[in-house]
Amino acid sequence: MSENYKFDTLSLHAGHIPDKETGSRAVPIYQTTSYVFNSTEEAASLYNMEVGGHLYTRISNPTVAALEQRLAALEGGASALACSSGMAAMHLVVSAICSSGDHIVASSKMYGANINLLQHTMPRFGVNTDFVNPNDPEAIKSAIKPNTKLVFGEVIGNPGLDIMDVPEIAKICNSKNIPLVLDATFNTPYLMQPFKHGANIIVHSLTKWLGGHGIAIGGAIVNGGNFDWGDKDKFPTISGPHFALGGISFWEEFGPSALIAKIRAEGMYNFGPSLSPTNAFHLMQGIETLPLRMKKHIENTHTILDFLVNHEMVEWVKHPDLDTHPDHEVAKRILPKGSGSIVAFGIKGGREAGKAFIESVKLASHLANVGDAKTLLIHPGSTTHSHLSSEAMKEGGLTDDMIRLSVGLEDINDITKDFERGFKAVKKLNK
Amino acid sequence: MIINFKGAETYLGTGGKSLDINKRTLCFLHGSGQNHLSFIQQARFFAYKGYSVIVPDMPAHGFSDGNPCKSIKENAEWINDLLVKLNLKDVVIIGHSQGCLVALELNRILKNSLKALIFVAGSNEIPVNQFLLDLSKENPQKASQMMVTWGHGIDGDMSINKWPGHSHYGEGNNIMCMNKPTALKYDLHSCNDYSNGIDAAKNIKVPALAVLAKNDQMTPLKSGLKFVELIKNCETHILDCGHFLPSERPMELNSIINSFLSKLK
Ligand SMILES: Cc1ncc(COP(=O)(O)O)c(C=O)c1O
Repeated sequence: MSENYKFDTLSLHAGHIPDKETGSRAVPIYQTTSYVFNSTEEAASLYNMEVGGHLYTRISNPTVAALEQRLAALEGGASALACSSGMAAMHLVVSAICSSGDHIVASSKMYGANINLLQHTMPRFGVNTDFVNPNDPEAIKSAIKPNTKLVFGEVIGNPGLDIMDVPEIAKICNSKNIPLVLDATFNTPYLMQPFKHGANIIVHSLTKWLGGHGIAIGGAIVNGGNFDWGDKDKFPTISGPHFALGGISFWEEFGPSALIAKIRAEGMYNFGPSLSPTNAFHLMQGIETLPLRMKKHIENTHTILDFLVNHEMVEWVKHPDLDTHPDHEVAKRILPKGSGSIVAFGIKGGREAGKAFIESVKLASHLANVGDAKTLLIHPGSTTHSHLSSEAMKEGGLTDDMIRLSVGLEDINDITKDFERGFKAVKKLNK
Repeated sequence: MIINFKGAETYLGTGGKSLDINKRTLCFLHGSGQNHLSFIQQARFFAYKGYSVIVPDMPAHGFSDGNPCKSIKENAEWINDLLVKLNLKDVVIIGHSQGCLVALELNRILKNSLKALIFVAGSNEIPVNQFLLDLSKENPQKASQMMVTWGHGIDGDMSINKWPGHSHYGEGNNIMCMNKPTALKYDLHSCNDYSNGIDAAKNIKVPALAVLAKNDQMTPLKSGLKFVELIKNCETHILDCGHFLPSERPMELNSIINSFLSKLK
């Protein structure tokens, strides 16, 4: 009888059972580039995609596959592919589906590199994007054109924390037969599983909460298997003949896993952004404790929100779990366990105050990452965006007093104590 | 390839190679609520070995239109007519689950063209419990999900897969969702109602191979072992997995089938 294991169990076990030869309980790190073929026939059958198996680590690797299968299980997808970074995952999806002359509809409020790829890089290859407000399903609907090949956004936007109404947007995409591709980095499958809400493809930066310890860069694509690629004119790269493998149609031969098969056969072959087996191992170690960590991330986030909202030195606090957030109702509906552990807040005193705060805290680390087990902070006004005027920052949806906080797993009293140290320095400055 | 057959668009998987009617043809018959994608790792494998391969999507399954067949006999007649239309004269039938019952009926109909029968996770009978029969009518998607979880061995639960990155459950559910919603209920009723199995099995005159699964919850091993006893000289293998043997143990299954085929005249 099937056990139908639950999320916490799958986080620990999916993708690996102890191998019979060594009994190794942990997933072994298969640090190899290639695999010995038992016969020329076997080699040919792997090259021809007749059967599954490993032939070269740029295409697949047993350690990486364990990670992929764990992710597929956690998201409830048909298949997954892990790669060298979140950005590699994003580029693999776009380049697998779109060709010159195609169009994308994307959220206007996303991580800078996601925006840059679509706004500046892809147009050089003839793929253009219209950016729309992610929390306005009607705007998304009107932006769809006959040559639109995918709709893309972040479930929880970075850094603005806008929430996409995934079920509503999925309905629109479904009615127009366009895949909904979501960057689910900030929610992870623990907080929300996009396929259950009708999304079709997920991209992850595993670097963040899934890996969870700030030690390895990695990305993944999870394929829902719930999209019909059968329209050969609209999706020729998936259902039309491939340039190799005897003109194979991935949709006909692999059905629900067509997209991943296509990406392995083209993206991994020709661009080659493979994930190292050792990094796959590190990322999987992180996933083992994902449920525990996410619970604590959310718990700490809610405590720090209370602290900040009531602090005299804080001008404003932004988080979708606060009822002052414009997307609070959507967040409650689709992210009932909490909407992540990124908080944005403004310090009284503007850009200089932000700088003073950041320079005075000791425990929270000042760096450009999110989703670490440790608390992280950045003040865009004095770092990533220091070259911009206050007005220019506002145009991009940022303010110069804004601090972005990635809440970690420390004893929260130590973090609030650390923040008090920062606020004290700001007070001194304001005097 | 898509052909027009009995007035409906009908899809036949050919393993990525074109059909050559002068070669020996392996005709794969999918199980209840399945389609050609249950043989992903068999179709291409045997086509690249030089056989002609057809994996029909039965009416209302996969990419095929038309109305679902309503009995095992109707399924077998449909396949027989298809083989006649394609002018295939040297055929090995390979059934999985319900496809094995259809193969048993085909054994009565096909005369000279049938060269061998291969039963994968098969039996002479496939009784279906009333709960699943009812659910397949009321909520085919839920019924499909239950079949996918029951159908796989531990590899399903643990997301272990010979195909790197693939999930048996996620893939299996979506394969079943590609069919028309009414397809499953007619399939399950066809299985449940079929009662010719014992006679049909005793009547097999061509070489036969059975590959059974140790942890099969759909066509239990016990039933499969009784079934092979009815067939004269049936070569029998048991693999350590669940009902979805073609995706759970593709290499082992392919190698058993391949060596059986190489011994045929
Ligand atoms: C939402 C989001 N998506 C994608 C990425 C890119 O991830 P990676 O650094 O793994 O390429 C990031 C990185 O910060 C991100 O925040």
